[in-house]
Amino acid sequence: MDKSITINGEQHPIDVDNDMPLLWFLRDRLEITGTKFGCGAGLCGACTVHVDGVATRACITPVGMLAGKAITTIEGLSENGDHPLQKAWLNNNVPQCGYCQAGQIMNAAGFLATNPTPTAEEIDTAMQGNICRCGTYQRIKKAIGEAAFELAKEVS
Amino acid sequence: MSILEKLTNKANETNHIENVSRRNFIKASGVATTGLVLGVAIPSKAMAFSHSESEAAFNPNAFIHLQENGDLLLYCGRCEMGQGISTALPAAVADEMEADWSRVTVQQADGDEKYGPQGTGGSASIRVMYEPMREAGAAAKLMLVAAAAKVWKVSVDDCEAKNHFVYQKSTGKKLSFGQLASLAATQPVPEKPALKAKSAYNYIGKALPRHDQGKVVVGERVYGVDTKLPGLKYAAITHCPVLGGKLKSLVKDEALAMKGVLDVIVVDRLAVPYGSIGGVAVVADNTWTAQQALAKLKIEWDLGENASYDTVAYKKQLVKNVENPAELATERGDVNSAFATAAKTLKATYTGGHLSHSPMEPNASVVFVEKDKCEVWAATQSPADIQKVLGQYLKREPKDIIVHVTMAGGAFGRKFKCDYVHEAAVLSEKTGFPIQLTWSREEDMRTGYYHSISAQHIEASLDENGAVTGWLHRTAFPPIGSLFNPATVKPSKDDVSAVDNYPFGLPNFRSEIGDAKAHTRIGWYRAVYAIFYGFSFSTFADELAYKAGKDPLTFLNQLYDANNIEEQKEQVSRSKNALEIAAKQSGWFERENLPKGQGIGLAVHYSFQSYVAMAVRVESDGDNIKVLQVDCVIDCGQVLNRDGATAQMEGAVVMGMSLALSTEITFREGAVVNSNFHNYPVMRINDMPKVNVHIVESDHKPTGLGEPGVAPFAPALSNAVFAASGKRYRDIPFKPMTV
Repeated sequence: MDKSITINGEQHPIDVDNDMPLLWFLRDRLEITGTKFGCGAGLCGACTVHVDGVATRACITPVGMLAGKAITTIEGLSENGDHPLQKAWLNNNVPQCGYCQAGQIMNAAGFLATNPTPTAEEIDTAMQGNICRCGTYQRIKKAIGEAAFELAKEVS
Repeated sequence: MSILEKLTNKANETNHIENVSRRNFIKASGVATTGLVLGVAIPSKAMAFSHSESEAAFNPNAFIHLQENGDLLLYCGRCEMGQGISTALPAAVADEMEADWSRVTVQQADGDEKYGPQGTGGSASIRVMYEPMREAGAAAKLMLVAAAAKVWKVSVDDCEAKNHFVYQKSTGKKLSFGQLASLAATQPVPEKPALKAKSAYNYIGKALPRHDQGKVVVGERVYGVDTKLPGLKYAAITHCPVLGGKLKSLVKDEALAMKGVLDVIVVDRLAVPYGSIGGVAVVADNTWTAQQALAKLKIEWDLGENASYDTVAYKKQLVKNVENPAELATERGDVNSAFATAAKTLKATYTGGHLSHSPMEPNASVVFVEKDKCEVWAATQSPADIQKVLGQYLKREPKDIIVHVTMAGGAFGRKFKCDYVHEAAVLSEKTGFPIQLTWSREEDMRTGYYHSISAQHIEASLDENGAVTGWLHRTAFPPIGSLFNPATVKPSKDDVSAVDNYPFGLPNFRSEIGDAKAHTRIGWYRAVYAIFYGFSFSTFADELAYKAGKDPLTFLNQLYDANNIEEQKEQVSRSKNALEIAAKQSGWFERENLPKGQGIGLAVHYSFQSYVAMAVRVESDGDNIKVLQVDCVIDCGQVLNRDGATAQMEGAVVMGMSLALSTEITFREGAVVNSNFHNYPVMRINDMPKVNVHIVESDHKPTGLGEPGVAPFAPALSNAVFAASGKRYRDIPFKPMTV
């Protein structure tokens, strides 16, 4: 039976070599380019997506392992770009070059789903796999704190 | 020579360059009253950007495109890599034009001389383009006002533009910019439009969000790696690991046999400054297959004359070269007799390693070479250099190379060089396909244009009052000039002019230049030579203060006050002011109350015509260093985008911290040993200190901020660690990783 994968709610056949990392399946096969290539070795976090809700490095995850799984990329994080993290990112003018920010946001979203009321130290620990060379870390921390606050309000 | 070459090749940070480009800019953009103007301010029907009469629009110059529905498209001619120029410059246009920022869309301009000099570096964009951009906006506003006056048959004096409308002052009648667009296009272009007074600024000096951040957070911003074309093929490349090496043998059968692989192509070195260093590439259906096939190639290189380059040994040699007499650059007074009659003397040697820019987006571009057309989509800092290099390679006119400038996912100087675009052009020319070439992180790190490895030796004398009487400064580093002239074996006098012109009052001064032949490609890295000049001056001054038995801030102020060179009065007063604010804001004056093990260090550095002071507070036992807080003061004259300026300083602290503590490129047997972020440990979020940015209110002419923030961090950190622990760091990075 053909293997398929769900990406941002849409089903796609896995019609490439099973070993191809999800990153290149997204970028070169499907031309969904919001997920970025940074290091190819799981060291920088620029390629972070969600696999069944869990933040995952797409550059080292073979697409063949993901049959039947639901993938969310930055393009599918929210309907209208209004996830609390996206709003907090804008509110704090986080991006400089912006290249790493999809990965930052996706990693933060996966993290907040498991820890909706993080301390500053917990944010540091959760986000230290995501590199930003422009140096937007201070604003990333602040934005995650703000988004957590908003998410808590939504839940209550 | 490009503007950046003029600026930074000479590394003359006090260069005044705005006159050069301004005249060219005015000519190119057609704002001036030469014959060109008429050719640009053309009636709407024939408008360059108009597709039909119904889409008539107003294009008074290359930067402004106002549609009849009022939508305003502003072009940014300078390249955007995160530094915020594509927000700041259009905001200056919109301000003078009295446009509503919410109606503005910013478009990155293609490579074209009509946008003025586009090479983006040297923190020059604001310096060079601020006034011309304001004039562009002011001219458009006057034409809109003239159009309204014509409609109402009143004097222009009775009309004023405000928030995307022109109002008749006496009646309150109004017409929107959109309604006036077509008629405005028929008005003469004003000769010398008056600019607004500071009190009337709407956007200049305010905090503006980046124009494109809405796209960033949903993944829609398009970078150099993101271009897609019909029939696009993908490529990966591996380079000769040593500068000047040649391909000896290549076995490609296994790679060629792989499914999805189209070709294996040797890319010869193009021995022009920004040409490929030489490599072997695979073209395939997708990037991953190309990377996999690349790993199957069996390549032997003849490594050539740089095969023994070893940075550990080289640094030792540089130290030797600066700790012994070297070639005289500048002498003022008599250093030898100052030393002979000194109450105290001090000497120290400072060193630093190579750095890789390592922007998060590795080098990438798409090139499609056709018989009579060549089109490029690239993240670049210099579209004109792409036109030049590809023109040279393809034997075509530079103007026939069409360059679409994409957003750069960071650049820091690396993407001024277009070797990666040249390579994509080779692959496209040889295969006939449009090619997207994406370098791996490993190739990006190992095939750079590195920040210079460096050594500086300073000796100084103090009199019985603790005043500096003599200063000897020896410098050695492989200069950027070696890229353009391989016969260059040491820094030029221009390269050390920032030493000679450092605004301390040094009555007896001598600078010398030590030998430093380059064995790799050297390039501009954010802050360039200011990284090591800032480090040596501000760290040594701190060491001298202790030697003199003085408070470091008091001692620094005395060093500045001793400067009686008239042309440096402004530098002295602005440096001192920035330093004073940093000290106050950081708690410097109450530092005896800090917990044991904490210390504050100060530094100020003038570079690229801006002033940045930093006060760094650390907790350190000498070996472990935790940066707690950084108070950063900038004096960039009239600030353009307050939030963008703040962001640049936050980022400069992060980059300064990476290079001060941990990042260093190591060469062994001619090749770079580092390969990815595990052994080039850039700073991560868990090391982020609290950064407070303080902007000096100023009416001085605006100057740039992309680079100047980096230099003061490392010396302020060295000074802070010493204050906290008594341990002095003189080699950056302080905590190198053994690779």
